[in-house]
Amino acid sequence: MRDFFKASSFKVLVITVVVLLGIIIYTASAGGSFLANILGFVSSPMQSIATETVDGALSFVDLDGLSREELKAMISDLQAENSTLREGQVKLYDLEQENEQLKEQLNIAESAPDTEMLSASVIGRDPGDVFYGFSINKGTLAGISVGDPVITKQGLVGIVTQAYATTSKVTCILSENVKIGAICKKEDGYSESGVITSNIQTAAGGLVRMDYLSNETKIEPGDIIVTSGSASIYPENLIIGSVQSVEKSENDISCYAVVKPYEDIRSVKEVHIILNFPGKGEEREEIPPVVSGDPQNNEDAEAGK
Amino acid sequence: MTDFNRVVRYLAYSLELLVLFMVQETPGLMPTIFGGRPLLVLPAAISMALFESELPALAFGVAGGLFLDFGLSGAMGFHALILAVLCYFVSVLAKVYLQVNFVTALITGIWTAGVVVCLEWLFLFYFSGYSMPGYAFYHHYLPEYFYTLLFFPLTYLLNKGLFQALQQPQ
Repeated sequence: MRDFFKASSFKVLVITVVVLLGIIIYTASAGGSFLANILGFVSSPMQSIATETVDGALSFVDLDGLSREELKAMISDLQAENSTLREGQVKLYDLEQENEQLKEQLNIAESAPDTEMLSASVIGRDPGDVFYGFSINKGTLAGISVGDPVITKQGLVGIVTQAYATTSKVTCILSENVKIGAICKKEDGYSESGVITSNIQTAAGGLVRMDYLSNETKIEPGDIIVTSGSASIYPENLIIGSVQSVEKSENDISCYAVVKPYEDIRSVKEVHIILNFPGKGEEREEIPPVVSGDPQNNEDAEAGK
Repeated sequence: MTDFNRVVRYLAYSLELLVLFMVQETPGLMPTIFGGRPLLVLPAAISMALFESELPALAFGVAGGLFLDFGLSGAMGFHALILAVLCYFVSVLAKVYLQVNFVTALITGIWTAGVVVCLEWLFLFYFSGYSMPGYAFYHHYLPEYFYTLLFFPLTYLLNKGLFQALQQPQ
């Protein structure tokens, strides 16, 4: 045993452990990491290619609902076309994808002309992330920074929590770490604000909670929840989702609404990052109307702790 | 020739880790079973350690761990530290106490994956202050553990083949 501790390999192990502990402490306190940037440079191009290949393959084999004759006809047609279009198809796929991204970006940009946005593709989903966070194929070189909101045309998806040179990590709104100031506005002028939160149980179902609602809340299933923009982290009026049900809180007399995002965040593939929007980072003087609950909670729309 | 074989073997291991990392991370490629997806890099690093001596095992443990850390967007170095220590001790065990075969590799996989998944749950979920740790353990970490175990035989056979094909001539 004494020989074991005296072996040079054991000394190397001890040095490695000390160095890794240093890296853990450094990255936990400083955030970014040189190592992570290097790994991003190596893996992100290959991850992009792998993701595109899998998407192509999955859409190709999704033949549910077609009869045998239809499938046969499709195969013969495809075989005839395949030889001439093989090269064109690859190019077309890329162009179509880019076109869709630009169309979406244009639609969103028309509704919010002062908003600066960037399209990105989801290239990685780690099996260890219990809250369905994901990696995108754009990083600080493309202008992304930590704290940028991430959306799709269906609404808010999450927030950038780590930005490396060529990739970024997005923590989605299903995460327990993300808290968003939200508001429900009705046609009759009634509005009520709350805080969007989540836990692992709601995240598993692709749902979030709107907490701190009054016990006399008039929010009902079908109502649309949007961002209040009170903390200037997210733009105002970004759609979060629709109310599925309203329940009594487990801890106090308040209520909470179960909100279903319009986008299935667990499988989203294309996103847009809001690089800049009017009022970003500025404290607003007007806080949206609060019907009930502790107003302090509604101002705490902090994200990405 | 010996050095050449070793270099080629190490390159093959590196490529294996990179490919498995991409397969593990690519959305939609590995289906979710009972809420869990496998950590493919983990069985690969552990089975490499069964055949290699301490220092290469340690190095590939660190490399595999850094890949896991990069994918998970947690503290860089967490998995690298765990895998470095595990791979080192697995290598020593395999050299001194174990006769490496399919059964001992599987037993090694069972306890090492258990250690990694439990430490993940403890440090990345429980100590991080998230609610419902029990729910997370049963509905996320346990499925991930059993799903990961399925890949130990595959990576054991792959790395055994690599080691035998590219080992030092006797």
